[in-house]
Amino acid sequence: MSPVQGQPLLELDRVSRAYGEEVVVYALREVSLAIRAGDFMAIIGPSGSGKSTMLGLLGVLDLPSDGVIRIDGVDVGGLDDAGRSKMRGESIGFVFQQFHLIPHLSAQGNVETALLYRNLSRKERTDRARAALERVGLGARTDHRPVQMSGGEQQRVAIARAIVTDPLLVLADEPTGALDTTNAAKVMEIFESLRSPERAIVMVTHDLAVADHAERRVSMLDGRIVADDIRLPA
Amino acid sequence: MSRYRELLGVAFAGLAARKSRTLLIMLGPTLGVAAIIAAVGLTDSAKGDLKLKLRELGTDLIVAEASSSFGTDTPKMPTDAVPRALSVPTVDRVAAVSELSGVVVTPYAEAIGVYETVPIPVLAADAQLPSVLDVTMLSGRWLNDFDQQELVRSAVIGEGLADEIDVLAGESRSIDVGGKAYTVVGILEQVELDPSLNNAVFITFGSAEADFNDEDQEPNKLYVRADPGTERDTSSILPIAITLGGSTEVAAKIPTDLLEAQSETDTTLQFIVAGMGLLALVVGAVGIANVMSISVIQRSSEIGIRRALGHSRSTVGLQFLLEALGVGILGGLLGVVVGLAAMWVGTNLADWVFVLQPWLPWAGLLGAIIVSMLAGIVPALKAARLEPLETLRLG
Repeated sequence: MSPVQGQPLLELDRVSRAYGEEVVVYALREVSLAIRAGDFMAIIGPSGSGKSTMLGLLGVLDLPSDGVIRIDGVDVGGLDDAGRSKMRGESIGFVFQQFHLIPHLSAQGNVETALLYRNLSRKERTDRARAALERVGLGARTDHRPVQMSGGEQQRVAIARAIVTDPLLVLADEPTGALDTTNAAKVMEIFESLRSPERAIVMVTHDLAVADHAERRVSMLDGRIVADDIRLPA
Repeated sequence: MSRYRELLGVAFAGLAARKSRTLLIMLGPTLGVAAIIAAVGLTDSAKGDLKLKLRELGTDLIVAEASSSFGTDTPKMPTDAVPRALSVPTVDRVAAVSELSGVVVTPYAEAIGVYETVPIPVLAADAQLPSVLDVTMLSGRWLNDFDQQELVRSAVIGEGLADEIDVLAGESRSIDVGGKAYTVVGILEQVELDPSLNNAVFITFGSAEADFNDEDQEPNKLYVRADPGTERDTSSILPIAITLGGSTEVAAKIPTDLLEAQSETDTTLQFIVAGMGLLALVVGAVGIANVMSISVIQRSSEIGIRRALGHSRSTVGLQFLLEALGVGILGGLLGVVVGLAAMWVGTNLADWVFVLQPWLPWAGLLGAIIVSMLAGIVPALKAARLEPLETLRLG
């Protein structure tokens, strides 16, 4: 999917997310944010700052209580579940802290899961999944199941699964949170290599070392964005 | 179309990945279908066997029996009951039998007490009886005109009695009938349509009259063969033809009706066993619903990630429904195999013909599929309604 020139890939326009009916608690309050193609962004903040809520909304896994979220100009609030699912599948790739691989599937099967129900031939699915695994350095481990792989390798399978659909936005939730230093560095290297003028990468983290890899850093506190800094490359 | 093919692949991969669980939840439909097929199939086989037997025995035999006669101990028919019966145009052959009362048969002198208490029936019979009953002699010969006219003390015994008193085929043996020694000249083979004859002693009407003062030779039972297809009409007209308005009452019955009535009783048993099979199927469905509901909770992370990867609620729900379909198909197929195997064993043990209605395996399979799919609806809805955010534990 190619982004429309000039407009943000993803835009939050005064978005709030509240929970509860009698006692209303705001996890996010009137947040506005524009993510553009080529962005390599980190969203940081302490626990309870609204990072996870923000991630759910950015990933179209949740809907705002107020405000509008647009992906490539389309208001996701106006879509039904099938429409939102389609948008998620085509435009967004997820990488989770706990990898969330399907245990009974091989690395190849896990990556192919992202390509299901898209009218692709079996061969096309196989080829694309293999290419994605090769890109993250796991071309030789395609038949291995998650239990046969290290944490670092599992996270690389998860990254391959996130990029196999060639999404506009890659959303990573604490991507190195469950990894040792060596594997974390390797994963961050892969994220750096995924940067493209047509794609945005957003990492949600409380690890400043991870955030340091990003060019743009959005800081959150108490459900609001308190800083949005762009750091120029040294 | 490719979407459904892919969904089927995902669902069956899910079943194959959890083999023990799949096998356990397959047990319900398997046992249910097997019980239904075995119950219906075995009853059909029993009926089929009966039909075969009826075809062999013939349904045109009628038994006319004197049912009451005021003032006499043993109801009797008129002396000319045989010609009267033969006057019915649809009657082909008739044999008369008269049961002698108070005549004790004593195969062993030392066991006379036993035979006085449980007497062996003594029947005066005419020469046509084997031909009318359509039975042959197991050994020896039947009573003939010479025996009748010359008052020869010849006796024929039923197969059951021969077994009981150890008379071997061809053995020269006499038997004490009411204090007279009768020579056993033959053994009559088992009479399927009138088992009471199997333990009887047959003598001629002449001997009965000479030795036991059965003067009138009035029969109390007639065996009648009617023209094929006329047995119902003949049996209704026969009592009138025999009594001709006299005080004797005669009841005519067709023995094969009794066998058919017995098979109807078997149908009740069929319903009970098939009902139990249905119950097993329903219990199996509850098992499927339970295990799959637990499975939805256990696999919530998988559901969450599938939803995050763009699989819609309906796709996820359909995946679980197809898993239930897989359980139904596999469980049903296994149930059909087990049910047919049970039928094969049962029919072999009972020595019945193997009768299988062609629709029965299909009905069993379809039943398992429908019940499993119904059981899968609730877990599928649960899976579809699961919120990915609740299962993925972000942040």
